[in-house]
Amino acid sequence: MASVAGTASAVSVRPPRRLLQVSNGISGLKSVSFTNQRKSSVSIRSAPRLRVSCAAKPETMEKVCFIVRKQLAIADDTPVTGESIFSQLGADSLDTVEIVMGLEEEFGISVEEESAQSISTVQHAADMIELLLEKKKAA
Amino acid sequence: MLQLPSNLVARRLVPFALPSLPSAPLPSPREAHLWCVKPDELKDASLLQEYMKILSPCEKENVLSVKGEVLQKCALLSRVLVRTTLARCLWIEGLSSGCLFHARLDTDYRINPRSFKFKKNRFGKPEVEWQHNDVGFLPSLQFNVSHTSSLIACGITVNDPIGIDVEEKQRRPNANVLSLASRYFSPPEVQYLKSLVDSDSQKIEFIKLWTLKEAYVKALGRGFSGAPFRKFTIRFETRGDLVSEKLKTGEFRIAVEPVSDHETLTANWHFALAEITGSHFAAICMGIDENDTGKEHDLLKLKVWKTLPYMEDECLSDSEAVIKISGLS
Repeated sequence: MASVAGTASAVSVRPPRRLLQVSNGISGLKSVSFTNQRKSSVSIRSAPRLRVSCAAKPETMEKVCFIVRKQLAIADDTPVTGESIFSQLGADSLDTVEIVMGLEEEFGISVEEESAQSISTVQHAADMIELLLEKKKAA
Repeated sequence: MLQLPSNLVARRLVPFALPSLPSAPLPSPREAHLWCVKPDELKDASLLQEYMKILSPCEKENVLSVKGEVLQKCALLSRVLVRTTLARCLWIEGLSSGCLFHARLDTDYRINPRSFKFKKNRFGKPEVEWQHNDVGFLPSLQFNVSHTSSLIACGITVNDPIGIDVEEKQRRPNANVLSLASRYFSPPEVQYLKSLVDSDSQKIEFIKLWTLKEAYVKALGRGFSGAPFRKFTIRFETRGDLVSEKLKTGEFRIAVEPVSDHETLTANWHFALAEITGSHFAAICMGIDENDTGKEHDLLKLKVWKTLPYMEDECLSDSEAVIKISGLS
């Protein structure tokens, strides 16, 4: 069970269960989509030759959880983990986009609107951020 | 184990049985019925336990997996509201169709709310899974649910796809609304918000636009990727035939305009916006087949009830508790 503790060394993240499909388009752009068992998906277009590493780093996860807690004013004794589902934490769609905007500011990234509104778990958000950060480094 | 909010009192001595559910009329053409629950009004723990019995096993599991007492109660009430709202309208007099519904009727031929099955369309929108025998006998009820922590609403129509969204009037986003709008709304909508002089009006209009856009996406039932917020514009426009007269509130028609001619962003959708119990905005979007009834510019009709299912129903329409803002006759 993924959990976030005060120090980074105590954090463990279980790799998410999902299918990863990469397909080549004629134009050379590769489309990467992630699906998990809950049938929600995040799709991101990336530059060619992207080396995909999708498990979010512990520090990323910690920051995401912090921002989520702040936006949703979650009580300290309520756990927020990678598996937390936004709607089950009480987030509606406006909360979700505010969280995404907060994440964009925190990490200096930019998320497509369609992706922003479809994020449903903390893990989704963290993984997407990790991917966007990698893409930014590669660019 | 269902977490019970600590401020509820449990009455254990007398077995608690739910009384029968009063029936309600079917929505007419171009009409939506909105049934609302205020979670704070539920103070009886034994009632919560009885409500759990109405749910399917899968729904019970979902409710129990929600973290926190308040959210769990809302999740439970949401399912109870959908099931009871649908069941109210399907009261069947006499035995005329009884043989087909025998297993699903209570003793006075009302449909048992437990008997509904639900499925999701391929984009994830919840729908009733009508049983084989129902086709042709039961009206095709369409529904959509929305909730805030202080109000849960279920909108229903006959035949017409519906999407609803409710939001607290007092809701103020943490982020700057112009930043949010620039990021997520269409350019004309951003311009509209910028044209408002005071920042509180901007926030209120932002919330109204948000609910209308949500209602549209939910009515379309294709998920957010099917109708990204930036790709359509919600506009308040005057009805053509009233242009020379003084316009009263309610005379404005809310229209949707797709930014690009995207196949899924069709424009025969009708909108309504109302204020409920002085505390919430409710936006309703319905897909009307213009060949069926009325003219394109006709307004929608809305009836609103507040309920604590099985305990109390209160009709709010035609009272101060429902203020029509736009799109409603």
